[in-house]
This record gives sequence, C-alpha cells and structure tokens, in this order.
Amino acid sequence: MSQYIGQSVRSKEAPRLVSGHGRYVDDLSLPRMLYASIVRSPYAHARILSVRADDAVRLAGVRGVVTPEDVQRLTRPFKPGRYAAGLRVPIPEYASAIEKVRYVGEPVAMVAADTRAKAEDALELVEIQYEPLTAVATADDAAGASAPLIYEELGSNVAWEGYVSYGDVNAAFGRADRVISEKLKIHRYSSTPLEPFACLAESTVGRLTIWCNSQSPDVIYEAAAEALGIADVRVIVPDVGGGFGQKIHLIRKYAVLTALMAIRTGRPVKWIEDRSEHMMAGGHSCEQEFDVEAAVSANGEVLGLRICDTDDVGGSVSTLTIHFTNKLNNLFNTYKVRHLRLEGRSVLTNKCPVVPNRGIGKPGMCFVWERIMDRIAQELSLDPVEIRRRNLIAADEFPYTTPNGNIYGSGNYKELLDKVVANVGYAEVRRQQAEQNARALDEREEGGSGKAEGGGSVPLRRGFIGIGVVIGVEPGGRNAARDMAIFPHSKQMPGAGGVEGATVKIEKNGSVVLTLGSPSCGQSHETTASQIVAEILGIAPERVSLSGTFDTAISPWGVSSSNSGNNFHLYDVGAVHGAATRLRDKVLTLAAHVLGADSGALQIEDGVISVGRVTNVGRVPRAGQEQSARGAAISFAELGKIAYANQAQLPAGFEPGLQATYYHSHPHANPLMLPDAEGRVRAQYTFSSAAHAAVVEVDPDTGRVRVLRYVIVSDNGTMINPAVVDGQIYGSAAHGISVALGEGFVYGSDGQLLTLTLLDYGKSTTLETPRIEIEHSPVPDPFTTFGQKAAGEGAAIPSPAAIASAVEDALSPLGVRVRQLPLSPERVWELINGRAGLYSPPGAA
Amino acid sequence: MKHTIKLRINGEPYEGEVEARTLLVQFLRDQVGLTGTHIGCVVGECGACSVLVGDILVKSCLMLAVQANGSEVTTIEGLAARDALHPIQEAFVSKRGLQCGFCTPGFVMASYALLRRNPNPTEEQIRQDLSSNLCMCTGYVQIVEAVKEAAARLQP
Repeated sequence: MSQYIGQSVRSKEAPRLVSGHGRYVDDLSLPRMLYASIVRSPYAHARILSVRADDAVRLAGVRGVVTPEDVQRLTRPFKPGRYAAGLRVPIPEYASAIEKVRYVGEPVAMVAADTRAKAEDALELVEIQYEPLTAVATADDAAGASAPLIYEELGSNVAWEGYVSYGDVNAAFGRADRVISEKLKIHRYSSTPLEPFACLAESTVGRLTIWCNSQSPDVIYEAAAEALGIADVRVIVPDVGGGFGQKIHLIRKYAVLTALMAIRTGRPVKWIEDRSEHMMAGGHSCEQEFDVEAAVSANGEVLGLRICDTDDVGGSVSTLTIHFTNKLNNLFNTYKVRHLRLEGRSVLTNKCPVVPNRGIGKPGMCFVWERIMDRIAQELSLDPVEIRRRNLIAADEFPYTTPNGNIYGSGNYKELLDKVVANVGYAEVRRQQAEQNARALDEREEGGSGKAEGGGSVPLRRGFIGIGVVIGVEPGGRNAARDMAIFPHSKQMPGAGGVEGATVKIEKNGSVVLTLGSPSCGQSHETTASQIVAEILGIAPERVSLSGTFDTAISPWGVSSSNSGNNFHLYDVGAVHGAATRLRDKVLTLAAHVLGADSGALQIEDGVISVGRVTNVGRVPRAGQEQSARGAAISFAELGKIAYANQAQLPAGFEPGLQATYYHSHPHANPLMLPDAEGRVRAQYTFSSAAHAAVVEVDPDTGRVRVLRYVIVSDNGTMINPAVVDGQIYGSAAHGISVALGEGFVYGSDGQLLTLTLLDYGKSTTLETPRIEIEHSPVPDPFTTFGQKAAGEGAAIPSPAAIASAVEDALSPLGVRVRQLPLSPERVWELINGRAGLYSPPGAA
Repeated sequence: MKHTIKLRINGEPYEGEVEARTLLVQFLRDQVGLTGTHIGCVVGECGACSVLVGDILVKSCLMLAVQANGSEVTTIEGLAARDALHPIQEAFVSKRGLQCGFCTPGFVMASYALLRRNPNPTEEQIRQDLSSNLCMCTGYVQIVEAVKEAAARLQP
C-alpha cells in the first residue's frame, strides 16, 4: 500500500558528502575571522593561584585572551540542568575552570589570533601558577573518608546517593530458592565522533550567532542566555561529523568561551577542538560498578533483582545522575520480573566529566541483566538461551507496562531469540565448540606450543571458541519528565513529554521543501523525512529536499529538538507527517476550488492532482470552472503559481501560500507521562528490541579475542528506510563490540589520561570489526505514526554483554568468569592466568 | 619562514606562499579552500585527510605543504568531473557506505588507491587495506560493500 514507506530509497545526503561538498563548522569562514585555542589544565587536581596573559597578548597576531577572571567577571554560571538532578548543594559551574581544576584538560583560558598556529604559539605564553593537589582517580579512592575533596562545598566526593524500588523486593527474595550474586564493572569509553567539537561565533549589534556542531542546539541556546545574558541568540548547526551523545553537553562551555571571545574582540571567532583535547575533555561515558543479587526460583524464574550501582562521574557535578536515571529506560530489559531495587551512588573523581553516550546508562543496565542471566544459567545448569526464554515477556502480553511505568507497545522477544539461535546455527556452534575447546584444553594442559598447522615453523595453537546470546530493548523518544520520578523536588525540570515541529512547503515551481526541527548527525534524516512527505503528498522523494540544516531562527524546535534520546523516529516523524498532512489538505482545498471538484474526489499522484470521479452532480459550477470534469488535473507547479501569485483564483478565506507547520507531541504520552506516587513514569515511549549472538575465538597465549560471527535479529517496528536502519544497527553494534574488545580510556593513578590518541584508545578498525549480520523481525508499534520504533543507540546497548558472554563461554573450560569490561588482550590474558584481581575467577591465586 | 610552492591541484596549477610548518591538509583547506579533505586526528591515525600526491595515497596531516612542491595533488573534489560522481563515489552512495560523511572523503580516496593497485580485491584485502582509515558511524559493513560495488563498476 505504501509507496515510499519501507523502501530503501537513494540517499539524498550522500552525493554531497561523497564529493567533498559537506559543510561542517570548520569549513566555514567569515571576514576578519580569528582562530581560538584553549589553555588546558595539565593537572588532574590543582588550585589556580594566578593567570598572567601579558606575554601572550604581546605576541604578534594575538588579538585576545580570556582568563578565568574574565569568565567570572563577564559571564554567569550555567544552571545545573536536568543531568545534575539530585545535586544537594548548588555549585556554580562556569565555561572555564575558576579557582580550581578538577581534571586533566579542563579549559582554563582561551587565546585568539589571526591564525590557528599563532593562537597555539601563544598558549605557552599564558602563565598559570598552580598549586597541585592530590588527585583521586578511582571511585573507591574518592569515596574514602580521608580523600581530598573535589568540591569542598559538598563535604564528600560521594555527591549523590539514592534509589528506586518497584514491587516488593524483600518478599521476592524471601520466596527465592536461590540468591545468585555477582560483581560487575563497565569501563570508561566514548563514541569518539570523527569530527571533534567546533564553534564559530559572531557578535553583531545586539545579536549573537553561533555555528556549532551541537546535537542539542537548545543547550547552546540556553547556555548563551544563561552565561552571557544574551537573549538574541541564533544557533546554526551545519553538517555534523557524528554525535552519539558526545556533542550534547560539554560543548556548551566552548560555545560560550568562543562567543565571549567574539564579543570581546569584536570579530568572528572560530574554535576547533583537536583530537587529544576531545579525548581528555570532550566527555566520557561513565565507569559503572554493580553489585547484583538475583532472587531465583528452582526452575530459573527470576523473582527479583537488587542492584547497587556506583557511577564514577568524573570532575564535574553537571552530569551527576545521568547514568543512573537512564537505567530507568531499560530497567527491566525484556523480562517479566516485577520486583527490583536499584541503588545509586555518584562519586566524583579527578577524571573527565561523564556525558551522554550512545545509550548512556542503558548498556550498563543491559550488561547487568545479561551477565546475571548467564550466571543463573550456570548455577542452575541450564542453557543460557533457555534461562532467558523462561523469563521473557510473552508475545501476548503487549502492550506491556513494566513495574516502573514504561509501556512496551509491541514485541515478540521469544521469536527474536529463536531466530538468532537459528541464524547463528547455535547447535552446530556448540558441536564445533565442544570439539575444538577439548583439543585446545589438551594442548594447554600438555603445556607445549601446540601443533603446527600446515607444517610452518610458527606453532599455531587452537583458540577457545565461545558463543554468547543476549537480548535487549532499545528505548526511543524521550519524556522530559522522566527524572521527576527520582527527583520530584528538583526545580530544574525542562518540561514533560516532548514537543517538536516540522515545516513542509510547496514552492512556486512545484518542488517541495522540508524544514526539520532538529539537527542531523549522519542518520539520513533528509532521506527518511522526504519519504514521509512523498508518501503523504503524492510526489516522488526526488522532488523533496531539505531547506537547510538546523537554525534556531528557522527550524520549528521544541524540547525534543535534539539529535539524541532516539527522538527522530517519534518526534520528527510525527511532525513531518503532521505538516505534510496539513499541507495535503491545503493542496486539496485549493485544487478542488480551481478544478471545481469536491476535495474528497481528488487524488494526488506524482505531484498532479486529478479528479478521480465526477462529484459536482447537483452542484452549480461557478463561472470559469468548466474544466471540473472527470480527468481534469492540475500540477503542484500550477497550484504554486496560484497560491503565491494569483489572489483572484484563491477560494474565499483560503490562507495564501502552500506551507504548513506542525508541532508534534506523542499522542499516547499518557498514562504516566508525569510520575505517579510510586515513582512510575514513562522514561521513553517506544521500545525496539533485538537479540544478538556472538561467536568468538580466544587465543589463550595472547588473550586476543576474534569475533567469528556476529548475528542480530532486530525489531525496530515499521521501517521507513530499511537500509538506513541497517546502517544504524551496523554502526551501533560495531561500537559496542569495539567497547567490549578493548577501546576505552585509561588513567594513571595521578589522574593523567594515558589514551590521548585514537590508536592508544584502541578503536576497532575494519580488521577487528566483524561482518555483522542482520535479520529484521519487525512488530509495528501500535501507538506511533507508522508503527515505527527507534533505531540509533540500538545495538550499542546489548553488544558489550554479547561479547562478554561469548568470551566467558569460550573460557569456561578454564573456569574463567567475565565480570569486567573491556576484554582487551591484556585483561583476557590475566583472566586466563588467574591474575585479574577483584574480578579474577573464584579460588584463583 | 615562508616558501613559495608550485604544484598542480586537481589538474589546475597553483602557486603561492606557505609557512614552513603548514601541513598539506591545512594548506589545502585554509589556503586553497578545498574543504572536502577533513581533519579528524591530525596525527595520521584516522585517514580522513587522505589525498593522492602523484600516485601515492598520503595522509595529508603527515606531510608538510612544502613537501608537495612540484607534485600533482588529487583531493576528493578532483576525483570526478564537476557535478558528476566518480564510480567509487556513486558506489558509496548506492551502498550507503557513509553516514555523517566526515570520514568519507578519506575512505573514497583510500578506495581509489586500492582499486587502482588491485582492481579485484577480496573482502579480506579490502578490510586489510582500509584499516588505515577510521569510521565511527557505519561499522564498516556498508563501506566494504561499497568498495566491492565500486570494483564491479570499474571493470573494463
């Protein structure tokens, strides 16, 4: 029935981007533009005693310096915002460090010069005297009673403690046949968008314009107002070189510093972050440590779960609880468990602040569920797939309300598991595994170098094979009121539900132009939105194009206008559909008038409105409407000429022009848009789901893990453009796999970041990334425009757990238990050799 | 200290002054205005700045502009005639070998160099060769498919 929905139509963005015609912030130049560079803290923890910029200012070509004193004098601190919900003492946070630095790379001062090279020359002429303080680099050290305080005002580095609890957890544990406990840890990583932060600011009389690669331009808009007190702000987001959450929060500091520099110098200022700056100060995901206890019945039913979550939030209070609150979004994963208590603790350390990152706390939450499921399977000697089957929400239970208030519209989790098991050839993998692992174990016990294969001189030992099968949900569409469930008294809530708009216009020449209410970071929003417009308006997608990238002065934006929270599928799609539908009505009204037909009798095909059947029977045609007969037709271009230029042909009371704007809220946002007395709230509105199967081979000599197969069966609801959905799944899976295999940030005990480049950080390339296989198994959502669900964060949520599961399975002959990510060769080697400390196998030396 | 350099860029002659410390990528972007070549790491790890110097694939953040004196430089903008796409670019479009597009010019140039050297690469060879470049969006699956498609399109 659908002509364009569900088609992998050709990308509208790609031709521009493959030919070097993308326009990213760093590609923009303005007359008399200056280039800024930032002086950053070399210390993890220090008091700033003095900042002298005299020598820097005297360097030829330097046009301005902004010091902490300037920032304190000329700007105001940011409001804490929703990520800091739960902060018990108000702590002002400025765009730069003031008085103290709390992590390596924290911005202290900015220099602007005629060229970037000159600005960088001047950095070392800014003299900063520090009094180094003892740094605390781990949550354990930071939480100690005698630990140096990162924020003296808080009196402790444990900046927040709290919990959520649903059902009767104690009763569930009282009923349990077994209580199975585990200690788990997930490390610091990032999505490292290839384009680092970028800002360009220009201050003209009374107006500040900021070009910025922000995923959430509302954050920049509000930051400028909060920090600089400027009401007339325009934020423009050109092409963005990847976001993944990194470009939501800390980027506001740099937008404000760049804007302040533009105001002070009276010239446009561009600031482009470099890679090592991004690694040390662009924001990290949160290191999370979990103590988990599961109450289990003898047949493997999980009756209840208790989790204590310690989040190492780094050296800022501005994202204090973000990794805790996001666990509400997938708190019960795909399971029918009704009793759960999650305690949280946010600990400040002298490391980079944590920020949103592809799934935020959700990969951690999924890791907890999927690791404990494997552990239960082991304890009860059940197959790990079977233990999951026994606890899944059944297909006939949808729409299903989780104990914390999320409403899963649709799904068939058992089918996802069945299909992934079939696609990966589970039984066959188990057979091969038994054979190969037995030989690998023999070789290991023989202690020799193993058999050489093919007669070569390099001895090749067999690796251990393992398979991990996991399942997870992918929540989509943010509810701005979520955090009120935990922090009902917070004064900083940004609203409730979601709001975002779109504008669709038919030009005078009949082409269709679309304006979205949110920026894109590479997810083919122009293509997908054009398909919706094409479907509703009856015109080929090739005739639809985007008016331009996001601009607060033009785009119809609201609280959901963020390239985050998996918002696009809900808010943008709804808004585009609404605007196109409104415009279609307008087109039909005008066409009916011109053709002298009943609008209900008209049809639109390929941009031409025609009379499908004679409907003017019994009506007296007005003068000049002789053409109102079967077969009469008028094109968008002809209507455009009338709508914009010929008042004489417009119906009485018709608003001229052919344009419609529609602001969308999720029509099924209730119940539980606002939290109830039990703290139940819709954290997000749609729930995609997927089962992942990973087959790995572990080299026992080097600890290297090779992913042999990676198979996904995914339910993203109705897909508007399946190839785009594939791309999101491939990319998010690859990220989660890379995270599990070893990418991540490493700090020294002095708080120095040791992974300043992508190579040190360990990002997977084409060689480590497997050829991911996808099958779609969509169950349309009953509550969304087309039945669509989210696709974006997706596969980054269960994939770390899938790899952990597979590696543990591979090393099960050695008694290895995987409790911690990443599974870098070093860590896997330690596990094999019983040297992994806290997370080592039981009984190991 | 400034130097005068003379070279051809995308078939057109260029003569101008550059500072000794100016990187080739900075020269191309800031001085020539060819902004299709991107900077992702500026230490030779990500490959977003890949261009051809003569026949050789070069990460233009690892070469000084003065070193390109007298050579023929090809950037992403010079791969195809104006307003047309090279078959490799077309393959990246049709197979969706890109998302945000920031790494894409580098991947296209690296694919160009690969296919000139080896017109029929296996998947393994493609993955081996393109491990010089990083993409944070795609998970590489559709990039590898694009290179296979490009190889097919370029068959004589």
